[in-house]
Parts: sequence; structure tokens; C-alpha cells
Amino acid sequence: MDMNEIKEIFFQECEEQLAELESGLLKLNDGDRDPETVNAVFRAVHSIKGGAGAFGLDDLVSFAHVFETTLDCVRSNRLEPNQEVLKVMLRSADVLADLTNAARDGGSVDEARSRQLIKELEALANGEVPQAAAEPAPKAAPPAAAAPVPPVNEEGFQPVAFSFEEFETGEEPAIDLPTYEILFRPKSDLYAKGNDATLLLRDLSRLGEMSIHCDMDGLPALDRMNPEAAYFAWKISLKTDKVEEAIRSVFEFAEWDCELEVMLADDQAQAHEELPMQPVPFDLSMLDEEPRASVEEEDRTVAGERDIRELAGSAAEATSNVVQMTPSAARVPAESGRSAASAAAQSAASQQAASAATPTIRVDLDRVDRLINLVGELVINQAMLSQSVIENDTNGTSSINMGLEELQQLTREIQDSVMAIRAQPVKPVFQRMSRIVREIADMTGKSVRLVTEGENTEVDKTVIDKLAEPLTHMIRNAVDHGLETPEKRIAAGKNPEGTVRLTAKHRSGRIVIELADDGAGINREKVRQKAIDNDLIAADANLSDEEIDNLIFHAGFSTADKISDISGRGVGMDVVKRSIQALGGRINISSKPGQGSVFTMSLPLTLAVLDGMVVTVANQTLVVPLTAIVETLQPEASAIHSFGANQRLISIRNSFCPLVDVGRILNFRATQANPVDGVALLVESEGGGQRALMVDAIQGQRQVVIKSLEANYTHVPGIAAATILGDGRVALILDVDAIVAASRGQALKPEMSLAAAG
Amino acid sequence: MASRNTARKKLKLAPVLDLNEATALHERLLALKGGAVTIDASAVERVGALCVQVLMAAARSWEEDHLSFTFAEVSDAFIKTTQLIGVDVAPLMAKEI
Repeated sequence: MDMNEIKEIFFQECEEQLAELESGLLKLNDGDRDPETVNAVFRAVHSIKGGAGAFGLDDLVSFAHVFETTLDCVRSNRLEPNQEVLKVMLRSADVLADLTNAARDGGSVDEARSRQLIKELEALANGEVPQAAAEPAPKAAPPAAAAPVPPVNEEGFQPVAFSFEEFETGEEPAIDLPTYEILFRPKSDLYAKGNDATLLLRDLSRLGEMSIHCDMDGLPALDRMNPEAAYFAWKISLKTDKVEEAIRSVFEFAEWDCELEVMLADDQAQAHEELPMQPVPFDLSMLDEEPRASVEEEDRTVAGERDIRELAGSAAEATSNVVQMTPSAARVPAESGRSAASAAAQSAASQQAASAATPTIRVDLDRVDRLINLVGELVINQAMLSQSVIENDTNGTSSINMGLEELQQLTREIQDSVMAIRAQPVKPVFQRMSRIVREIADMTGKSVRLVTEGENTEVDKTVIDKLAEPLTHMIRNAVDHGLETPEKRIAAGKNPEGTVRLTAKHRSGRIVIELADDGAGINREKVRQKAIDNDLIAADANLSDEEIDNLIFHAGFSTADKISDISGRGVGMDVVKRSIQALGGRINISSKPGQGSVFTMSLPLTLAVLDGMVVTVANQTLVVPLTAIVETLQPEASAIHSFGANQRLISIRNSFCPLVDVGRILNFRATQANPVDGVALLVESEGGGQRALMVDAIQGQRQVVIKSLEANYTHVPGIAAATILGDGRVALILDVDAIVAASRGQALKPEMSLAAAG
Repeated sequence: MASRNTARKKLKLAPVLDLNEATALHERLLALKGGAVTIDASAVERVGALCVQVLMAAARSWEEDHLSFTFAEVSDAFIKTTQLIGVDVAPLMAKEI
């Protein structure tokens, strides 16, 4: 594996950690004070820092470090995570994401912003915790006291709370803190990967008061040793206020390259007796990576000299310890063997408790796509097979038919399962939105709260990827245009904080995403006037509220009085609509003046298969997406009413519905078909209105595999895609919305139907 | 004994004793086998566990050969790292310093 691949994995993990970080912070923002949430947030930042350090991404490391320090204050309850604190933290999470992206793709970051945040974070870490540094005996940590607040680039100069008096005078440690027994046995791989046990042990020593015993029994003679193999193992006892999880997280990036056991030492006295270890009493900050500027260096040397003097004392003690250590070291393997079982059980239990998450694997998307494609072929092949059996089946061999039915079910199940592989929760997209809301709210000076629901709703990965852009547009619009300023909201008797609600749910084989704001709603009068000004509608056109609302999806339409940086150039909603339609989705608006607007998007769960109704129009086989069809009916002559020159209506249960001749619109035939000879499919069009599509006959219902027409041929107006039928013929999949628009275009703008037909 | 003292070799350690240095250090130490050695660790800025392993293995080998293996000058970083990872070099420190 080359470095780039490893780096890529790191960035993928970063993405996950950032998502974790953000959701954790948002939970805290909602008042969640579960220590596990705080820990999760802390871990996320810590892992990013760790990985970034391994790749030498200094900017990322230094920012993550400051962030982590502040989070640690929250974790140790020294800093109350109130709204103000969380605001800073959420912004820091954004900057961390920016830094990660910059590290991955190059590009620059807003330096001033990150510097400002570093200051704020440091202020939080220091301002609120005046006694944090004073807690340990003042002379115990002279280097820490000498060092100022960590400057931007300083690596991990955290004051470590320890006390010399404690191990010099009393054999008994402070009893209130739990002591962990850690067995750490690195494998050669750990070193081969550029990691080093010393670094891990250094991080470990920061967690609390640590005593260590290095097991050198495995060390062979000099001439027989492999200088790059791992021989040392360590037995560590660590007194810390951190949880076991924190200890394990130190070894996070090395967990596969070492044997690690962490267990709580239950019997303190015994543990102490059995483990005559070498205490690790020093501030180890000077072992941090590269030595820095000479001034710092001097500082350290001064501190170091002081340390050396103190070392003399402890070294003497350590020597005596080493003497007693030898016999007990022999006992260690036996003892550790005994404890291994219980430790394993304990760690298994804790792992189970910590995460109910099932194991996952990372798979290259290409492989999944290939599998999906193959399953698609399988479905087509199965359809062909059953069709040819039916055609040749004169005497009804039921066993073959039954077998085929089972095969059909199996293929369907295989297809569903394969699709489920691609299905992903919409959570990452939703999380990105919360950042956009924050930024726009900051820019516009509005106070906005984003509420998300149904984040775990799953939908095909391609749909998710393409969802982000239209959603971003819409969220911007909702905050910028939809919500009023706090003053106006107060004047209207509303909560000054606006709410934007983003919901996802499954509904009858589609995913429905709803974006609701509690703003002023669409100003229909203004929209209408604007549409007339822009020649989109005739001045005397009589439009329903719904149709007026839908006008905002026209290209070049903007009702904003002034163009802002955020939105208002009128390139928004038509792009949104087009991208939603490109996904095979529909978008609806419903708006109540003074109460806000709701945008509803309905999208297919997958772009690979579709349930369709196979119909015949002018001897051509077409597929109509089943989701668009409300009902089918056989028109009677009495129900057909002519209207104008060439418009016809069909009366269904005492209401009239425009009749759309599909064959005519697609130019399959020159003359209008007789509705009584055909079948009408009542479809729901994007505007919410119903239309009756007229086709010659219905062949049946079938699941079809979508083959892109654009990729294989070229875009055809009115046609969404193509598919291969059971008999091997190509059938076109109807783009219902385009057909309806074309039919409506005949009324509104005649040239549009020509374009559609051509 | 006196002749040995005159033959005492001095080995100055590189500033960075990481993975790459471990093999080199191993070879240099092997070449010095059979005579008393003084290790000069005064320039060491960073030391990894692998090199400590090599040094400790060497110390044992020398001890088996009843030859002297001592650390003359040690840098702060060196002493602290060995302290951190629980390897005690104090008994190997040259007594005359």
C-alpha cells in the first residue's frame, strides 16, 4: 500500500470523524449532557489529530490540538458547554472540516478565521478554568508553569498533573483515582509503519500518573537480533481520572500492530506490591517531535537541567526498584496469562456496551456498481427466460412455471439486497446543511435553528451525492428569503429564532424530503407581478395559488428586492428543479402567508431500477413509471369533452382533467387518437394537478432496469431513459413531467411543445 | 585491564535514533564487539524503542563477555525517553562522571 492510499483512508476516516463530531456537538447543543457524547466528540478530534500528525499535516494538528484541549475542559467538567461555548465549537468543527479538505485537495483556508477561533478556544480553555494549572503543587511542574499558553504551533504542551512529593514520600498513591493495568506488546509491524512505542507511551503518560515496567525478556543476543523487530513489551500501571476508552484511544492507530490489554486494577495494594515499576514522573513535553525555535530550546534546557537534578533522586530509587523487579518479572507472564481471560471478557463486554454498531467493510464503489449492473442483466435475462417459456408453453407445464416464479422472486430479492448495499443514510447531507444554515444565519444576521428528522432514512448513494446541491440552494433560499429578520418576527408575534425543518422519510417506494420554514411564506402578489414583468405569464392570466407558487421555479426568477451574496440572482430554484428532475424526482411547494413555506421533494430510492407500467402507443412500447400513476381507466365516449381547438378533457367522478395524447406529443402519430380506443392513465404531475395520459393499451407491470439514454445515445425530450424488455427489445421510459409540461406548454407557450416534440 | 582501557572505543550516537537508524546502529555495535565501549549519547534528540532495544541487547552481550559497556554523556532527550519507556540506563552510566 503506498502512502497516498493510506492518506486517502485517513481522509475517509476524517470525514466520518467530522460527522461524528458535528452530530455530537449538535446533541450537546440540544442539552445532551451524556459523558459518552462528550467523549465521542473528544475522540473524533483526537483521532483526526493523531492521523494528521502521522502525515505531518501541521496546520490540522495544531488546530485540532487547541480544539482538543478545550474539549478536554468540557470533558473534565471544568467548562460548562453552554450555547456560547458550543457556538465556538461548532464553528471550530467547520474550520476543522475546511482544514481537512484543504489538506486533501490543496487550496487555502481562511487563516484569519482559524486564528480567531484558536484564540476563542484558548480563551475558553483558560478563562473559565483559572485553577486548572494551579491545582498541582506549584513547584512540581516548573516547565509547565514556565511555558505560556500553547502558541499555535506548539505541540501538546499540556500541563500534566503530577506531584513529586507523592512518590518521594509516600509509597501509597492517592486512592481516589482508579489505576489501570495496561499490557502493551508491540509487534514488529508497529515500527515498520513508522510508529514508535515511545510516542504511544508518551501519549499514555499524559493521561495521568504512570509507572512502567519494560519487559526485556524477549530480547535476544545482539548478534542474533533483528534490529527492526519488536522485542520489548511493557507493563504499565496508570493512575488516571480518564476512562478506559481514553486509554485505548491512545493506541487507536496501532491497535492492529500490538497486543493490548487494559484492565482496572481492583486491588490497589496488591497491585502496588507486585509491580515495582519505574515511575514516569517527568513532564515529557520536550520529547515532542522536533525541537522548535532556539528560544524555546533554551527554555527547555533550563527546565531540563532542573529535571536532571531531580532525576538523580528518582534514578537512585529506580535502581533499587530494578533490583526487586527482576524476580517479580518472572511472575508477570503467569499472572498476565491468568488475567488475560478476564481482561478479554471485560473488554468484550465493554465493547458490546460501547457500540451496538455492526462491523462494516469499505468497498470500492466501482465494485458495487459492477455488481448492480450484473444483477440488472440477471433481471433482464430472467425476464427473457420467463417470456420465452410462456411463449412456447402450449400445455402449461406448471413445474417450469413454478420454478420460474421462484427464480423471479429470488432475482428480485437479490436485486433488493444489492440495492441495499448502495443505500446510505441521508445523515451526511443533512449534517452539511446545518453548517450552511449557521453560515447564512451569520451573514444575514438572522437567528435560525435547523431541526432535522429522519436522518437515518436510507437512499441510494448516487441520489445522496446529487441531493446536496439542490438542498443547499433551497436552504439558502429558506433562510435568506423565507425567514424574516428577528425584529420583523417579533413584530409578527413569532419567536425571534426562525426554524427550518428538514425531514426525510420513506413513502411508497420513494424518499420524501421536506424543507419547511416558519417564515413569511411566498408573497404571491409579488411573484405574480414579477412573472408578468418578466413576460413569463400574460398579464390577465388566471392562475391558482399553486401555479403562482410554482412560478418561482422559472429560470431567471427572483423576488428579492436586492441581490445578495447568498441568493437572489434568480439562478436558484430553476436549477434546483432541474437537478431534482434529473434524479427522477418531483418538487412541490405549499406556502401559507405569514406561516412559512414547505418544499416537498419526492425522489426515487434508486436510480438503477424502476417499477413501470409497460404500455403501447402507436405500436411503440413505452414504460411509464409506476410511481407517477394514480389510477388507470377505460374512457367512455360520454366522458370525453372537446375543449378549444384541439384540447380535450375527460370527466372523472365529476371533475375534469386534461387529456394528454402521448402519441401526439411524442410525434408518434400525426393525428389525434380516439380516446375510446385506448386507456387513460391518471398521473400526478409535479404541480400537483392531475392529467390523463392516453395510451393505446397496457401490457403489464414490470420492474425494469434503467439504462441511460444520454450515455448511450442522446437526450430525447419527453423520454427519461430506456430499458431492455424480456424479449430483448428496447423500450423507452416516459418522462411524465416533461410530457405534462409539454401539454401544458401548448396552452401557455406553443413553441415549447414543438421543442418537446422535435 | 589497562590495555583494555586504552583499546576502549567510543561510539557517538546519531541525533535521531529512529527506525532507519536501528539497523545502522546494530551494525556499528556488532563491529565493536570484543572490546570495551563507551556510548556517547550527548547529541541524541530523539530515540525510538527499536534503538533502545539494540542498545540494551548490546549491553547484555557486553555483560556476557565481561566487557565494559557504558554511557558516557547522555542528552536530556535520551535519558527522558529511556525513563519514559521504563528502560533504566542508570546502572550503565559511566561512574567517573
